Amino acid sequence: MTHTQKRIITLVVIALTASVLGRLAVRAVLNRLVGGTLFGGNFL
Amino acid sequence: MKSKAKSGSKVLWGLLYAGTFAAAFVLSAIFNMTYDPLRTRVEWNDEVGTVYTDLSYGQGSANKFDLYVPADNTKGTYGLVVYLHAGGFTAGDKSGDAEILKWFCARGYVAAGVNYTLFGEENPQASIYTQSLEIRNSIPAIQAEAEQLGYPLDRMAIAGGSAGGCLALIYAYRDAPSSPIPVKMVFEAVGPASFHHEDWTCYGLDKSPEAASVLFSAMSGNVITPEMIESNDYAAEVRDISADIWVNRDSVPTLCAYGAHDRICPFPAVRPLLDALEENGVPHDYIEFPHSGHGLQNDNREARLYQAKISEYLDRYPG
Repeated sequence: MTHTQKRIITLVVIALTASVLGRLAVRAVLNRLVGGTLFGGNFL
Repeated sequence: MKSKAKSGSKVLWGLLYAGTFAAAFVLSAIFNMTYDPLRTRVEWNDEVGTVYTDLSYGQGSANKFDLYVPADNTKGTYGLVVYLHAGGFTAGDKSGDAEILKWFCARGYVAAGVNYTLFGEENPQASIYTQSLEIRNSIPAIQAEAEQLGYPLDRMAIAGGSAGGCLALIYAYRDAPSSPIPVKMVFEAVGPASFHHEDWTCYGLDKSPEAASVLFSAMSGNVITPEMIESNDYAAEVRDISADIWVNRDSVPTLCAYGAHDRICPFPAVRPLLDALEENGVPHDYIEFPHSGHGLQNDNREARLYQAKISEYLDRYPG
C-alpha cells in the first residue's frame, strides 16, 4: 500500500468518525433539552 | 529541500484531515437536525387548497384561527381536523403547524389551527382551564366560517402536540358531548393527560407539595394549597383540565404517542389516561417511543407508525 493510499484510507476513517460524532452531538444536545437516550432507536 | 517539501506535504494533509473532520461533523449534524422521517411537507398551491389566516373567534387578541380549505369544494359535507399548537401553555403559535395543517387539507379535510391566550406576564390569569374554554368557543366560529366559504362540516377530529395535545384531550373528552360538530376521534402526542402530583416526578412535584401547589394552581386556575397536595385532596380543582377524569364509555377513539424519557411532559402521567381508556373500553392506540424524550426524536420507526396510524384513524373515524 502506498503512502497516499494510507492517507486516503485515514481520510475516509476520519470522515466516518466525524459523521458519527456529529450525529451523536446533536442527539446529546437534544436529549439534554427534552430527554432521550444516547443510543438505541435511530441509528446512533 | 526534500525535507521541506515533505514537511509541507504533512502540513497539507494535516489540514485536509482537520478540514474533513470539521466538514463531516457539521454536515452530519445538519442532516440530523433537518431530516424529516415523516415527510409531511406538501407541495402547496391553489390546486391543493387555500389558507385564510388570523380569522377571529373571540374578543381576546389571541383568539384567532387559521383555516385551510381544500381546492375541491364540490362535496356535500367535509370533515374538520383541528390541530392545537405546542408551547408549554406559555408560547407557540398556530403558524408553527402550517405543514401538518396543509397535510390534512391535502387529504381533503378542512383544517384549522387555533391560537389561545398564553400564560405569562401579560396574561397571568390565563390557565389550561381558560385556554380550554377558548378552544371550545372557537369551534362554532370555525364551523360558521367554513360554512360561509362553502365547506359545511359534519364531523371532526381534534389533535395537538404537547400543550396542544393536552387541550385536544380535554376537548375530546370533556367538551365533545356539547360540540356543535360531532367529534369522531382525538390524536395527540406528548400532552399532559393527568394531574396527579406523584406522577410529575420530572418537576419534583412528588417530593415538594409547595412546588406542586404552585404549578397545579397556575395550570388549573384554582387555588391548591400544599396541604391539599399532601392530603391528595385537589381532584375537584384539577378536574376541568384532567383528561383522564373525563374518559367514559362514550369517549371518542384515541391515538396517542409519548416518549419514555420525556423531561417536559411527565411520562408517568400517561398511565392514568391509558387505564381510563382500558377500563371504559374506548378504542385506542398508544405508541411509546422507547428512546425518545419530549421531541419523540430518537425513534423514527415509531414516528412512521404514528403517522400511519393517524391516516388509519382519519380514514376510519371521521372518514
